[in-house]
Amino acid sequence: MADNRIALKMEDIHLSFGGLKALGGVSLEVKEGELLAIIGPNGAGKTCLMNCISGFYRPQKGRITFYGQDITRMPAHRIAGLGVARTFQQIELFTGLTTQDNIMAARHVFFKNGALQGALYFGPAHSEEIRHRRIVEEIIDFLEMEAIRKKHVGALPYGQRKRVEMGRALALEPRLLLLDEPMAGMNLEEKEDMARFILDVHDAKWTKVIHQKPTVILVEHDMGVVMDVAERVVVLDWGQVIADGTPEEVKANPEVIKAYLGVAA
Amino acid sequence: MTIIGAELVSLNTFPRILRAQCMKYGDKKVAMRKKEFGIWNKYTWKDVYENVKWASLGLVHLGLGPGDVAAIVGDNDPQWFWAEYAVQSAGGISVGMYVDAHFSEIKYLLSHAEAKFVFAKDQEQVDKILEVKNELPVLQKIIYWEAKGLWYYDMPLLMSFAELQELGRKYEEAHPGAFEAGIDKTKGSDIAALCYTSGTTRATEDGIARQKGVMLSHEMLVSNARAWLAIDKWYDSDVWLSFTPPAWAAEQILGIAGCLLSGTEVNFPEEPETVMENIREVGPQFLFLSARLWENYASSVQSKINETSRFKRFMFNVFLPVGYKYAQAKFQRRRPGLLLRTLHGIADLVVFRPLRDRLGMLRLRSGFQAGAALSPDTLKFFHAIGVQLRQLYGLTEAGLQTAHTIDDIDPETVGRPLNPDWIKISPQGEILLTGPLTSRGYYKDPEATRELIDSEGWLHTGDAGYINERGHLVYYDRVKEMVELSSGKKFAPSYIEGKLKFSPYVKDCMVMGGPDKPFVSAMVNIDFENVSDWAEEHRINYTTFVDLSQKEQVYDLILKDMERVNRYLPDEMKVRKFVNLHKEFDPDEAELTRSRKLRRKFVENRYADVIGAIYGGKEGFEIEAPVKYRDGRTGVIKTTIRVRSVL
Repeated sequence: MADNRIALKMEDIHLSFGGLKALGGVSLEVKEGELLAIIGPNGAGKTCLMNCISGFYRPQKGRITFYGQDITRMPAHRIAGLGVARTFQQIELFTGLTTQDNIMAARHVFFKNGALQGALYFGPAHSEEIRHRRIVEEIIDFLEMEAIRKKHVGALPYGQRKRVEMGRALALEPRLLLLDEPMAGMNLEEKEDMARFILDVHDAKWTKVIHQKPTVILVEHDMGVVMDVAERVVVLDWGQVIADGTPEEVKANPEVIKAYLGVAA
Repeated sequence: MTIIGAELVSLNTFPRILRAQCMKYGDKKVAMRKKEFGIWNKYTWKDVYENVKWASLGLVHLGLGPGDVAAIVGDNDPQWFWAEYAVQSAGGISVGMYVDAHFSEIKYLLSHAEAKFVFAKDQEQVDKILEVKNELPVLQKIIYWEAKGLWYYDMPLLMSFAELQELGRKYEEAHPGAFEAGIDKTKGSDIAALCYTSGTTRATEDGIARQKGVMLSHEMLVSNARAWLAIDKWYDSDVWLSFTPPAWAAEQILGIAGCLLSGTEVNFPEEPETVMENIREVGPQFLFLSARLWENYASSVQSKINETSRFKRFMFNVFLPVGYKYAQAKFQRRRPGLLLRTLHGIADLVVFRPLRDRLGMLRLRSGFQAGAALSPDTLKFFHAIGVQLRQLYGLTEAGLQTAHTIDDIDPETVGRPLNPDWIKISPQGEILLTGPLTSRGYYKDPEATRELIDSEGWLHTGDAGYINERGHLVYYDRVKEMVELSSGKKFAPSYIEGKLKFSPYVKDCMVMGGPDKPFVSAMVNIDFENVSDWAEEHRINYTTFVDLSQKEQVYDLILKDMERVNRYLPDEMKVRKFVNLHKEFDPDEAELTRSRKLRRKFVENRYADVIGAIYGGKEGFEIEAPVKYRDGRTGVIKTTIRVRSVL
C-alpha cells in the first residue's frame, strides 16, 4: 500500500424524512483503495448512506468530503464528475438502449467535442468516438457481455442487467465505486461471477480504463458474499454504526448477531 | 478461384502446405478472421505464416524436438490453429483437449501423452492445469493467449503467446533459416496429431473415461482432405466457420486440412455464446455443427414461428409442405413437376430465403453433421427450408469415410463411401474399414490397437450398419447399443431418440428396452427454454427446472410427442411409458461424453430407481439425486418423479 490516504470521510451525518430518522449521526472514514462493505438489516439506512455520498440526498447535518473536497451539498452530476460512480439497488438503466449504448452513455462525460461535431461525425469527433467505443468494448469483454452487446437492456434478465449497470459505472473510470446490492436476486452462479468481477475491479487487474486501485463501497444483504469479498465491514442498524472491523471481528460481534437475529446470542 | 493448386499435390504435411499457400497468397488474401472487441480482425496468409514461425521457433528455443508432444486447449481461435502448425513445423505432435474437460481428465491426458508444453487459452484452462501440475513431471511451460485474469499469476511455468513469439524472433536471429529447415524435415508419415476419443469405449469405475489417443499422421489427414475435396468443390473464395472443437478429428480433417488445402478462409466466432449471431455476420458457405446444434436450430425455428405474427405463421405453415415435397423429390433424385417447381419458387422467395437469411445460412452451400446420429426428421426439415444439410460418417480412428454429395442425399443414410473398396459389413453387422485413411492405432497402447485393427488390416469400428441398395451406408448405432427386444427383434434406441428430439420441447432423452424389459420406455430431458416459453403462454406457474418438468400439463405436452413418434413405429417398438427427468443429462456428471453422446450403461445404473419404477408399474416416486458441479462440489436434489403411460 502506497499510503493511507483517506478517500472518503463522513462526519456525523444526520438524515431524516419528516419525523423518520434514517441516519442518526454516522461517521465513517474510507481509505484509498479499500474494499469496504456496509451491511445491516432492512431499513438500517444503507442505501440512504449511499444516496448521501452520491448526492441524491442532502443530509440535514454533517459533512462529507471526498479527497478533502466537501461534496455534502454538491449536485449529483458534479460528484460523478469527480470520479464517484454507482450502481443502484433498483436497476436504473435506459431500457430502450442496447447494452453497448448504455455503457457508451456513461462515456459522454469525457467527450470533448460538442453535439454539432458529434452529429457531423467527422475528423476529431470520429476518432474520439472510436476511442471511447474501444473502452466500451474492453468493459464488455471484461464483464463477458459479448452475447448481449446489441440486445436491448429492457429484454435482458435481471442478473445480466445488474452486470450492464456495473459496466456503466466502470465506464466512468471511477476513483470511488459505490455498489448498491449488486447481487440481490441473483442465483449462486451469477453471484460468484459478480464477486469475481468486484474483486478484479478492485485489483484494477483488467483494463486500461482504471489505472489505480479504485476504492469500492459495497452495500450487500448477502452475508456470505460480504464475508468472502470485503476487507472491512461496517454494520448499520437504525441509522447507527454498530460495528466496524474485519469480517471475522464483525461476525463475532454480539451486537451484530443481535441486530440480525433479534436475540442476544 | 482455384481448387487445389497443382503445386500442392505433392505436399503431404501441414507445414509444407502452409508454406506453399503463404508463397501463393502472401498478404493478398485473408486466411483467418476472428471477432475481437466487436471487430472482425483479419489475418492474411503471410500473417498466419509469420505467427506460426515465431511461435514454432519459440518452442524450439524452449526445447521442443521432433516427436515431442504439445497439448492445446481452448475455444476455436486463430492461436489454436497457429499453435498446432507451430508444433508440427518443429516436428512435434499436437494434441487437442476439450475446453470443458475436468482437471482429472486433463491430468490423465497430459500424463498419458507426456506433453512437454500446453497451450491454454485463458485463466479457466490455465487454472485447471495448475491444479494438477505437480503430477506432470515433463511439463515445461504453459502458454496462454488470453491474458485476462492472469496478470498477477507470477510463476515461471507460465508464458504468454506473445512472449513465446518474442523468444522465437530472437532464436531466428541466432539461427537464421531454422524454421524453413524444420519444415523441410517434416514427413508425411510423421504423426501430426493425437486425437483422444471421447471414451465411448472404455469407462472406469470412477466415472472418468479413460480415453485412447488415436495417432493421426500428416499423410492420413491430408489425403483424407484430398479425398474429400475430390467429391466436394471448395474454393479459396469460400468461408468456413470453425466451431466444432479442433480436438475432434472432424475439424482436423475439414476445418484444418480441408481449408489449408483449398485456401478457404477460416472464421472464428467471438465467444461460444455468440456463435449464432456470428454465423449471421459471416454468412459462411460451409458450416459444421454437431447433431445437437442442428437440432437446437430446428427447434428454435419452430418455437420462433410459434411466437411470430399470425400472418407469418400462416405463410410458413402453408409453404412448409411445399418445401418438404420438393425436398422429397430431390432425395429420390427425380425432377419435380412444373407446378411443384413454380410453387417452390414462390415459397423460397417469400418464406425460405428470408428465413435462411435470419439464420445466416443464405450463402450456405452445405451444412455438415457427423458424430451422433441426426434424426431424418431434422435433416428433412432443413432441406425443406433450403439448407443443404449433409451427413458424414467417420471415426477418429479411420477418418472421414462416407458422405452425402450435393446431389445424392438420402435422409435415412449417412451417404456414399468415398471409396466402396474401403468398407465392408461383417457377418455380425459391424462396419469394417480399411484403406489409406485409417489411422495407425492408439498411442502407447499396442494391445488396444490389435483389438482395433485385425490381421487382414480391417479396422473394427464397433458401429452397426448396412449398405443399402443405393450404395449408401445406413448407420444404426454402436454395436453394443443395439438392443434385442423381448420379442427377439433388434432395435436401435437412438433411432427413436432422434425422432423424439425433433420436438422443440425435448432436449434430450434416453429410450430403453431389452430382453429384461417387457416394453420400450423413455426418460426425457425437457427443453427448458422452449417449455418455459410454452408454459408462460399457457399461464402455467413454475419455479425451477425441477418443478416445471413435473407439471401435469408438461407431461401432457410431451405425451403428444410420444404419440407422434409412436404412430410411425411398429407395435413392439412403441414407447409405452415415459418420465420427465428432474435434471438434464450432463457431461460433468459423466452421463454424456464430452461430445455429448449418451453413456447408456452409466445412465441406466444411475437412474436404476427411475427405471425400476417404470417397469414396476409405479405412478411416481421420490428421488434424491446427487449432483456434481464443475468445481468439484456435490449437492443433492429431492423431488417426486411421475411415470406417465402412453396408450
